[in-house]
Amino acid sequence: MTFVQAVIDGLMIGGVYAVISIGLTLVFGVMGIINFAQAEFLMLGMFIAYFAWKFLGLDPLIGSLLSFALIFGLGILVQRTLIQRVLNAPPLAQIFVTVGLLIVIENLALIAFGSDFRSVSTAYQTTALRLGPLFISVPYLAAFLMSLLCGVALWLFTNGTWYGRAMRATAQDPMAAHLMGINADRMRQIAFGLGVGLTAFGGAVILPYFTVHPTVGQQFVVLMFTVVVLGGLGSVAGAVVGGLAVGVIQSVSTLFFPIQLQNLVLFIVFITMLALRPNGLLGGAR
Amino acid sequence: MRWWIAGVAAVALAAALPLFLDPLGYAIRVLTLALLFAALGQAWNIVGGLANQISLGHAAFFGLGAYTSTLLLIHFSVSPWLGMLAGAAIAAVAAYLLSFPTMRLRGHYFALATLAFSEVLRIIAISWSGVTGGPVGLSVPFAMEDSFALLQFRSTLPYYYIILGALVLISCVFLVIRHSALGYRLRAVKENVEAAEVIGVDTTRVKIVAAVISAALTAILGTLYAQFNYFFDPDAVFGIVPVSIRAAIVTILGGAGTVLGPIVGAFFIIPVEELANSYLSSQMAGLSQLAFGLVLIAVILVQPRGILVLIRDGVARFRRGDGA
Amino acid sequence: MKSDRNESKLAPAVWERLADLRPNRRTVLAAAAAALATPYISRLAWAQDSVNVGVVVPLSGANAQFGVNSRNGIEMVAEQINTNGGIKALDGAKINLIVADSTSTPTTAATVGQRMITQHNVVAILGAYASSLTLALSEVTERRRIPLMTMSFSDQITGRGFRYVFQAINKASTLGAAQLEGTAQIAGGAGQELQSIAIMYEDTAYGTSQAAGLRDTAAKLGIEVVMDEAYPLGITDVTPLINQLRATDAQAVFPCSYLNDGLQIIRSMRQQNITLPVIGGAGGYVIPDFKEALGEFADGVMSIAPGNYDQAPELTDVFRERYGYFMVHEALEHAVCLDVLAKALEIAGEADPEAVREALSNTRFEGGWCAAMPNDAVDFDETGLNTLARPLMVQWRGEDLVTVWPEDLARGEAVWTGA
Repeated sequence: MTFVQAVIDGLMIGGVYAVISIGLTLVFGVMGIINFAQAEFLMLGMFIAYFAWKFLGLDPLIGSLLSFALIFGLGILVQRTLIQRVLNAPPLAQIFVTVGLLIVIENLALIAFGSDFRSVSTAYQTTALRLGPLFISVPYLAAFLMSLLCGVALWLFTNGTWYGRAMRATAQDPMAAHLMGINADRMRQIAFGLGVGLTAFGGAVILPYFTVHPTVGQQFVVLMFTVVVLGGLGSVAGAVVGGLAVGVIQSVSTLFFPIQLQNLVLFIVFITMLALRPNGLLGGAR
Repeated sequence: MRWWIAGVAAVALAAALPLFLDPLGYAIRVLTLALLFAALGQAWNIVGGLANQISLGHAAFFGLGAYTSTLLLIHFSVSPWLGMLAGAAIAAVAAYLLSFPTMRLRGHYFALATLAFSEVLRIIAISWSGVTGGPVGLSVPFAMEDSFALLQFRSTLPYYYIILGALVLISCVFLVIRHSALGYRLRAVKENVEAAEVIGVDTTRVKIVAAVISAALTAILGTLYAQFNYFFDPDAVFGIVPVSIRAAIVTILGGAGTVLGPIVGAFFIIPVEELANSYLSSQMAGLSQLAFGLVLIAVILVQPRGILVLIRDGVARFRRGDGA
Repeated sequence: MKSDRNESKLAPAVWERLADLRPNRRTVLAAAAAALATPYISRLAWAQDSVNVGVVVPLSGANAQFGVNSRNGIEMVAEQINTNGGIKALDGAKINLIVADSTSTPTTAATVGQRMITQHNVVAILGAYASSLTLALSEVTERRRIPLMTMSFSDQITGRGFRYVFQAINKASTLGAAQLEGTAQIAGGAGQELQSIAIMYEDTAYGTSQAAGLRDTAAKLGIEVVMDEAYPLGITDVTPLINQLRATDAQAVFPCSYLNDGLQIIRSMRQQNITLPVIGGAGGYVIPDFKEALGEFADGVMSIAPGNYDQAPELTDVFRERYGYFMVHEALEHAVCLDVLAKALEIAGEADPEAVREALSNTRFEGGWCAAMPNDAVDFDETGLNTLARPLMVQWRGEDLVTVWPEDLARGEAVWTGA
């Protein structure tokens, strides 16, 4: 029973890992850029939802839409002013522009919001559903369901709309997409906006059980990379599988090893998996 | 030939510089740190610059060096000079072992696998506290008197020269590799792995040799860091941001793949960081780090291939303007 | 090979020319040169009308909040001293604080300390909140023979035989021990004999040393530790911890963590209807944000603390009025450090680090901010540890933290209740 409980807990948190990591993989898929600053948008999303709760009285689960919208806009701006300029730069330069961006966003947040830890209080954050011997935490479940909704919406967007298809086309072959009359720059802006927006959304939905402060991104940055690499860089389905896998590995490992070593187990699985499948679980040979 | 003269002159200048500085002071500490990070960047440059294998896990080797020599010193009174060699050997073995799962990986996958490896070592250092001292960290036993054998001095000056020596050594290794058959093979790997294999380069072996040399040199710097700083904890030597990312940043800012790159990068960014901290950090929390991030972005936007290229272009333009 | 030749030949010339071309570059270079040369210039002049005191605390990074709190406390006391006529033994010299950001990196903390010593001729340094930063900083201050006054917890700080480091509060192991002793007494007072406890702690210097104190004391008191788990700093999901806790028969739980994990732990406990008494290990359990985040669930939560503002409301109310929140313990203890330093300067009669060290180690300090400490006094032994420090237990009561143990310091009755 404890095993079932651990798997359930792992899936709950894994769903959230998936949604915050889809953004990272989307940015990589369309632009080939690894965005080290991605987790900072998670932090910004959390702050937006926090202030929406504090001043507008919005539950973070609703505020998450606001987080998504605002960060989507910010993402487009960042893409136009910054990322666009390094699209053709060597990969090293690209990585470290985003490292610079990480430092800038984190410290701007420190200056603007202060260093306090902030947390919302909601009625459901201390409740759990009880199914026989199993507990399902309501805030975790809410975050999981919101992530699921978000995943479905993204799937509908990429498969069912012209923009979504155009974005995928740009990811597959920018040149051909251009010849088909798709504005690749526009698509990259949308992809980046969507990518960081999704991560911000994921940040907002965990706010009922997580505190926000300017350095909260550091707690997620390595995890997000693990998720997307595990699943296969650039693959949205891979990020979902990777997210759930990371959540379950973290949770189940605590049944056999000290909790202190949960990430050790995770990273060893990660390195081993890469050795066996160098392009990730769902990554094709590229 | 002129190149060698310039090199010797630069080292002589660096050696003479401390004569004008307070041997216990702040300026020499900043310069020593710049030398240390230049050397670290140079060691990274062997894999990152020559073979284009972006490692984000060099902290693994840095930490192995720091822990090996310090633990040998604390428990068995082994001189850090010997501990340094032991650390280098252990790091070389670690790099060799790491190459098995990572040798087939490319680009970002390689970067993130190395990052995960350094995290594994960091977690081991934190949790295996019976051996490593755990999260509290290790203090290098305080030597009452200056001792060359114990590699411990009250003044910063000896560290300056020792780390300068390390930088010269690593730069020489870098140059030798670069101009040897290994260097040409590494460059072939960098340009095109498939083509390199077609012309008969054993790409895997070439990459492993470079990784092992780079790791051993990085471990030596880990020992020097521990001795220079007297205290370290797992995050300080196995940390992604303080070690791995920095090694890469100094190299990239200066210009990856060139011998001057890490040196220029380190002597640019470390003083910038210090000046920002000293003038801005009392004004408003976060301002100095913000300035650091902006400078990093600005340099890369202006010239993604680094300051050296920027300078060369600037000079070329200047000369053209001069002639006209 | 070709490119190398070009680079090394050109580099020096370039800087000269660039400096000629753009006046603003020259100013930048000049500023840099000045910054590096300052040690010799400032060394000539000991400031007469002010005494430089270094403050090295994390103002950015994960511990920034505590660094800012510390700085607030120090700045307030500096202002009080200065408006009251400064250091009288030095003709009313004013305290001039040199504040710098240690970030979260020990190397930076050490470098910043070096800068304060050479460029600002500080007479002493206060800081650096986190134990790892303080340990790195103390290696510099010890070699430069500058007193370092700290409120960091780690046992190592005064455990290395250093002569220039002064730890104003109890060591982590003492705090951990008191955390359990106090709890056992409070439980006993409520008619419950404490027999089994659960410990969970972040795997940092702070968490591990305090957990060690708890563990040792449990063995001494014959209390069974039914759960003893470290977890990684920055854990994203505490559910595994709470699942384990649920499977035990612990009577009380001792979490040593900062705020985020603390809130997660208590909320997850509530979700699973676990209503054990929670006795926090200072850190995130004794700051106003804890109450703000948990609301009514904070009520009754206890914590060990090296000090509490209700010990001297007449002193600490000024802080609350000025900054809008109660005087958290790190602000309080740093305030005490500065006040003690000012008293030491009065005794030394000169702004000389060696004389200040002598005064610090040979005096029993009383009055002023010392009244906020549990014994109303501060006295450092030969290792630099304040022998008069005593840990106390606090409990959340509405918006306030009330001292409930030990009896002679208590401002309210302890309530043995679950979270």
